Amino acid sequence: MSERTLGVLLLGFAGLGPDQDHQQDMYLPAFEAHPGFDVVAKATDLTDSALADPAVDVVSVCVAPDRRADAVVAALRAGKHVLVDKPLALTAADAARVAAVAAETGRVCLPAHHQRFHPMIAAARGAVAGGKVGLPWNVQADFLVAGGTPSPAGELANFAVYPLDVVLALTGLRVRRVFARLSTYWSDGGADDFALLFLTHENGLTSTISVGRTRELADTRPAGLAVHRYRVSGSHGVLDLDASRPAVVLRRAEASSSTWHGAGTVDRLLDELHAAVAAGRPSSPSAADAVHIAEIVDAVRTSAVSGTPVDLPQEGSR
Amino acid sequence: MARHSVIDDTAPLGVVIVGAGFIADHHGAALGASARARLAGIVDVDAGRASAAATAAGGVPWTTDLAEALARPDVGAAIVCTPNMTHEPIAQQIAAAGKHLLMEKPLTITVASARAVVDAFDAAGTVVMAAHTHRFYDYARAVDDAIAGGAVGRPVFARLALLGGWIWPDWRAWVLDPAKSGGHALHNGVHLLDLVSCWLRDEPVSVYARGRAQTAAELRIHDYLEMHVEYAGGANAVCEMSRGHRPSTLDRRDVLVAGTDGVLQLPADGWGSTVVTESGTSLLHPQAANGFAVQLDAWLDAIADPAARRAMTPADAVRAVALGVATELSIERGEPVTLDEVMEGARA
Repeated sequence: MSERTLGVLLLGFAGLGPDQDHQQDMYLPAFEAHPGFDVVAKATDLTDSALADPAVDVVSVCVAPDRRADAVVAALRAGKHVLVDKPLALTAADAARVAAVAAETGRVCLPAHHQRFHPMIAAARGAVAGGKVGLPWNVQADFLVAGGTPSPAGELANFAVYPLDVVLALTGLRVRRVFARLSTYWSDGGADDFALLFLTHENGLTSTISVGRTRELADTRPAGLAVHRYRVSGSHGVLDLDASRPAVVLRRAEASSSTWHGAGTVDRLLDELHAAVAAGRPSSPSAADAVHIAEIVDAVRTSAVSGTPVDLPQEGSR
Repeated sequence: MARHSVIDDTAPLGVVIVGAGFIADHHGAALGASARARLAGIVDVDAGRASAAATAAGGVPWTTDLAEALARPDVGAAIVCTPNMTHEPIAQQIAAAGKHLLMEKPLTITVASARAVVDAFDAAGTVVMAAHTHRFYDYARAVDDAIAGGAVGRPVFARLALLGGWIWPDWRAWVLDPAKSGGHALHNGVHLLDLVSCWLRDEPVSVYARGRAQTAAELRIHDYLEMHVEYAGGANAVCEMSRGHRPSTLDRRDVLVAGTDGVLQLPADGWGSTVVTESGTSLLHPQAANGFAVQLDAWLDAIADPAARRAMTPADAVRAVALGVATELSIERGEPVTLDEVMEGARA
């Protein structure tokens, strides 16, 4: 069963911005390179005939974010498993709608929070869960991209899901309170390009996340991560994670660069997709995880406007 | 304003140290290395501690009576290293005696008293400076030099973390009593709040802070502090001050400044050398200029020419107190606190 090749429909080639096409740039090459998947169809938009194709097991959804939730729901209802580009939905309400259908149909609905599969982060998740630093009580995170095309939807919508997912995956603790500031420092447009998130989690753990997009930097490829790191402080130790590692650093006449060997984060994301489908279990991260992240992002917007902390509804109270 | 200088320009300034605790040793060493000032005596309420410190300093005079020391004509100034709650009355006494003052941070533990102290020195025509020593350390000056040189354009986001383990005595330590220290935000938080404000070259408008009693649930201060400061020009800063991190042998000093034109970093692992031995891993700090000596020179510069631009102004010292007070208040309320509120509250 686990060796079965899954047929993939690539649905939509849109993103948060004019030149963001994760389908073409990230998922297509990863599906093609993965032995467990076979790309059998492509479609720019949702059609009943595409979803009716029995050769399609998995739909990779990259339709425009405002229609994304509807597309995922349709694919799940058609009995397909879904990989969905981030953000899964633009609001918590839409994300919850998707998660409910995923639970109802029992199909896999994997939000593409691929940074948690980074080799440093995956190892740290295991270490923290195993008690290496004791009981964690604080996480500090920086996720700063340099250069590339600013997202017209703002970098909170575009990027915050990544470090949020990592912090939640590292700690396993849901967020209860959100204080946030949104700024525009580098972008010429009006959209936010820097967010500061101050989160209070279950068990009193606090976390702080800076996330945004600076101007281009010589040592960072366009739209690459200039700073990507996490510090987990615990009752019995501290874990410092620099996600620019592991790296072989190359220094030449031009700007420095680095390289590493092995599967990338999107490749590992597809490993999880395949394993979840094969085992008939929900994926990790799940649609429910995306709902919580969407709730946090909604609260960030509310707090940024009000200037005061926002309490999230407790789990199960929705 | 009349200049009531009590020294001539050639003889070293006679300085008494008030409060012979551990930080006094650093100031004493700086005085010992200075050609412009000399240690003229030790004052401490504890005669045993005063005499021991005086003996260790080569037999300088000591007393338990500050007024007696300030009355000496060869004493032109004082460096005060007493517990925080005593800063205000001691500063007022020194101002009234017409002497100059280098006050260990915080200047005082309330905004109203900080203002009153600054006013008293203005009236006396003598110099008061708060010892925000981090401003004078090599790492802080390297960051400041880079920002001043335009390396990152306009700085918009700063992170500063000073994370260490327990360095205080037991439960009897005055630092652990918020009534005496003002709380950890006033005691140590002000170092970071002052430094990032200095780096960002902007005026703070509000503080959102979270605190944690990490080492023991019974602590009445927050040995871990996280402080977010928002600035008038739109910049943001996140400061972390900790005495609750483990192990204490590996302290962390982390700086990140993002600006409109670039990013500057002093990564936690870029600070010092790592030494791994049979007894564990520790950090070997790099050889560096003595921040206390650099700070002493800055204070002596201000005394020599009060009109010149100062490395640390009285207004900076009041602002640091206000930031510390806002931090403690924000932790108590769980909400952001504006600087206007703590400044206005002090006027009322």
